[in-house]
Amino acid sequence: MKQQIRNFIFSEIIFVAEPTSFSDDDNLIESGLDSMGIMRLIVFLEEQFNVTLPDSEIDPDNIKSINTLEKWILLHKA
Amino acid sequence: MTNMYPLNPADYFTLAMDEEIRNEEMPGSLCGFALELDQLPNIIILKQRITEFGERFPIVHTRLKKHTKRFYWTDTLLKSPIFFEHICQNPTEQNTFHNQCILELLNIKQNREDQSPITFHLIQSVSKTTFLMRWMHPFCDARGAELILKYLCTDDINLRFNFNPLEIQPLVDQQMAKYSWWQKIDLFIKAKRYVSQIDQLRSIIHADITAKPQQLNFQTYTLTLEQSQTVKSLARQHLGITGTSLYYIGCFMRALHAMDKTQIGDAYCTPYVFNLRKNKALSPIFGNHVAPLFAQAPKSLITQRSALFQHLKQQNNRAIREKLDYAFLPAMWAASWLSLNRYGNELRKSMGSSSERSSFWFSDIGSVDLPNNQLLGSTITKVLHLCQITSPPALAFLSCQLNQQLSFSYNFIEPLFTPEWIADLHKKMLEELITNTN
Repeated sequence: MKQQIRNFIFSEIIFVAEPTSFSDDDNLIESGLDSMGIMRLIVFLEEQFNVTLPDSEIDPDNIKSINTLEKWILLHKA
Repeated sequence: MTNMYPLNPADYFTLAMDEEIRNEEMPGSLCGFALELDQLPNIIILKQRITEFGERFPIVHTRLKKHTKRFYWTDTLLKSPIFFEHICQNPTEQNTFHNQCILELLNIKQNREDQSPITFHLIQSVSKTTFLMRWMHPFCDARGAELILKYLCTDDINLRFNFNPLEIQPLVDQQMAKYSWWQKIDLFIKAKRYVSQIDQLRSIIHADITAKPQQLNFQTYTLTLEQSQTVKSLARQHLGITGTSLYYIGCFMRALHAMDKTQIGDAYCTPYVFNLRKNKALSPIFGNHVAPLFAQAPKSLITQRSALFQHLKQQNNRAIREKLDYAFLPAMWAASWLSLNRYGNELRKSMGSSSERSSFWFSDIGSVDLPNNQLLGSTITKVLHLCQITSPPALAFLSCQLNQQLSFSYNFIEPLFTPEWIADLHKKMLEELITNTN
């Protein structure tokens, strides 16, 4: 799951010179994930993992890193 | 051999706007970023860096020419200068000199084929220095312009070489290539339905459209740190982390409504662009890599603050969920084969009525991302954001953030709007931005 999230973020939303050195805990918002990027990422996650991510839960705690994104998805998959 | 660089479908969108503005006997779609500096930068190094930029990116020295039915940035035989100095000779005029100089440069009328796509201007008086970058909108979009400034502000030559001069396929074309022909048709129909729905409501326009456009003017206001923090906090409270730009749009619609509640029309509508570049990417620099979306709110919602924000948020979320952000790409491509006037009428104006769809133009470039916020050792103290506008709407609200402080540039066409009207509008906008009532 993390790899799919990484692939989408680095191929579509954020430019990182060396994606392999970007850890799963690194801050995505500080790295350039903006409001449009967040919405596009959520649409991708919902389609890819067949979940509904409520608008009320779109906050930095859930979005700040690849690890927190995975946790957020798993919470709704369960 | 003469190099010819073709325009991409999104460039044609801005070229159609350029044509529309020129048809109004105005200078075309000129844009500018002006940086106010705390001291004079090293002019010799600045000249060298601009020269280096022109050598690495020869497209800078081209002119826009039409060949058969298409437009190309075309090499010229002689490189004309792109850097100019403007020095205030009269000490009593220092206060007005800088703004006057910027206005003159943004209001110069030139044939499109004779115009440099981009020029740089150092405006100096005893107490103040301003660096202006002026460009033709088909040449690059605001993000590309920010990348050019970033190049000029980067002192380390190795880091400057990270800006890649190699030609890459325009992002509009790259995105389009991901879709099969029937998916493109589906997107085209989706875009048509989207604008048809928007066009059911007639846009409210405050400009005095009986007047003939004469010149662009602008007023820029920088909020204090405290005001800026309040605005950001309220934006998050009302619209969440994805809605800062929508907060500005909603507040601006309410401020306009407060200026004249009886203005004719059914709804406020503004275009905003979705940038196709990856954030923090250093390329592509040139060309426009955007797709338009619209924020629209019916008059009945304008008076209900919370409901208005919720409406704008839901509209934006729905647009992205339905992939309307990509829907315009095939339409922009198809329209780029039309004449510029037809392109403008088909895509920019309300379908059927040919009236103006936009109540105002809007752009939020967010945090200005320049190394240490310095230009060759001079600290950037303020950013002014400028653009020519079609009349109507004759009004643009452009926002950015520097050193955590928000800055709003109101661009307007005189005499369709007056400076007094705009000053009053800003007062109302500020009340809207920092108020917390529902």
